[in-house]
Amino acid sequence: MKAARITVTVIGLIFLLIPLIVTIGASFTTAGYPTFPPKGFSLQWYEKILDRPEYMSAFFNSVKFAFLAAFFSVLLGTIAGLALAKYNLPGKTFIVSLLTSPLTIPHLVLGAALLIYFTPMLLAGKPIGFIIAHVVICVPYAIRFVLTGLSGFDYTLERAGMVLGANPFMVFWKITLPIIRPAIFSGAMFAFLISFDNVTVSLFMVSTNMRTLPLELFFHMQDSYDPMVASVSSIVILISAIFIVIFEKIYGIGKLFGGS
Amino acid sequence: MENLGYSPDQKMSPNLKLASKSKVKELRKYTAALLLLAPLLLFILAFFVVPMLYVFYLSFIEVEGLDISNASYSIGNYLTFFSDSYFLRSLWMTMKVSIYAVIIALILGYPIALTMAKSSAKVRGYLTLLVASPLLISVVVRNFGWYLLLVPNGVVDQFLMKLGIIDSPLKLLFSVEGVVIGLANSFLPFMVLSIATSLYNIDPSLEKASSILGASPLKTFLTVTLPLSLPGVVAGIVLVFSMSMSSYVTPALMGGANVPVLPIVIYEQINTLFRWTFGSAISYILLGVTLISVTIFSRIFERKFKEVFR
Repeated sequence: MKAARITVTVIGLIFLLIPLIVTIGASFTTAGYPTFPPKGFSLQWYEKILDRPEYMSAFFNSVKFAFLAAFFSVLLGTIAGLALAKYNLPGKTFIVSLLTSPLTIPHLVLGAALLIYFTPMLLAGKPIGFIIAHVVICVPYAIRFVLTGLSGFDYTLERAGMVLGANPFMVFWKITLPIIRPAIFSGAMFAFLISFDNVTVSLFMVSTNMRTLPLELFFHMQDSYDPMVASVSSIVILISAIFIVIFEKIYGIGKLFGGS
Repeated sequence: MENLGYSPDQKMSPNLKLASKSKVKELRKYTAALLLLAPLLLFILAFFVVPMLYVFYLSFIEVEGLDISNASYSIGNYLTFFSDSYFLRSLWMTMKVSIYAVIIALILGYPIALTMAKSSAKVRGYLTLLVASPLLISVVVRNFGWYLLLVPNGVVDQFLMKLGIIDSPLKLLFSVEGVVIGLANSFLPFMVLSIATSLYNIDPSLEKASSILGASPLKTFLTVTLPLSLPGVVAGIVLVFSMSMSSYVTPALMGGANVPVLPIVIYEQINTLFRWTFGSAISYILLGVTLISVTIFSRIFERKFKEVFR
């Protein structure tokens, strides 16, 4: 029985990871179409990315939007998270589930609803609409990180600061913030990645000149069979891998998804 | 108030003074909390709750073509959906594809979770990393890998032809099978992590007791481990099913026009045809059908295995 379990485990892991392996492998091909195993070895499909303005601008769009979405998510999420953790408000569970409720609605439905809602407000197809939509999907994660970070927080430390004469701002800056900084940092990185990876909500929010990298890949995959999709995808995998390593070091990746 | 018993000229009791002081303090505390919560609460209300309600409201407005002047309130959009065989077939296809994805994720996911539960902390850490990492990589990228694998004469076809198992390409891309594979691959980590969490919570002495009392490993698994892990299994099934039901990117890339699941139809209605009121109705039908199926499914399971679900 044990042998059977291990065999299926290995098959399952291969099933899970093989698309990534194939993509990275195919990006090194010398052929004019993606092949796996790659024909020969070359970096030409990486060099050629630099000549393709649409990929470059999509990459910078992605970084810019994800950074702003993460910043505002963490800002709003931290302020709300601090209030929720510190004061034992009546209906606290209700407020937390209201603030994290965007997690329960599929991105497709949310994106469609926001497009319909934004159009009369003239926010559709504008960067600001895009960022608002991404903050909606990222902010629940930011709150969760802050609440987890504050779960064991010792409020006597804040009181000690007050007693010693610090004003509330100083107390926050010198005591509270340094203690929850890792939680805020992880929340920001997670929010960045959620925004950076998103396709479905973005699809409804972009105009042609503000496509993000995953969107550019999505459209290219639908109309051409080009090894550059493989090389750009590999770069996305590399970026994600860097984030994954940092997460694993400071947080433990299993905890991100409720495991242990 | 409690001071009704006192004569007006009597001084307030010190106890009462304290009580009112702490009440003021409490009030001030709540004001502070509300002020801190206000920005995010308003944001979520303005850009999540209201849009969702607005779309729900729109779904009850019937429009002829794109002309809003002759709009009327009715359940016409819902009737249109349920009386048109194209949309009903699409709904059924969405459910079918999602159920298949759940089955594959369960078959592959349970053994992985079991291996994680039975491993040392170190190996468990590595396995968790391998399983969870793909979730942090864009679904477009993960689907592209499957695209290369399943494309006619792609990796899978060539491999199977070399082994002599098949002699012509399988045509897995742009088919229901391709979509199911893509969905199962996307959501397998959620299945594994849900089941693993409930396996970790099983008291190991129960399994030990079972084997001391003479049960074979298989019997211990079937009578102790498997039933106790059911809450995780149900949670995993619910997660994978609902995410598959509303997945747009994978069916668009792996199925194309051949697998018009409901999310594809919604996207087309709203973003291409601009039939917003009808698209809104389909969105709520998708949410409703998913919620109802998931509720019925977990109710049945919870009733059948009452002991395990508390």
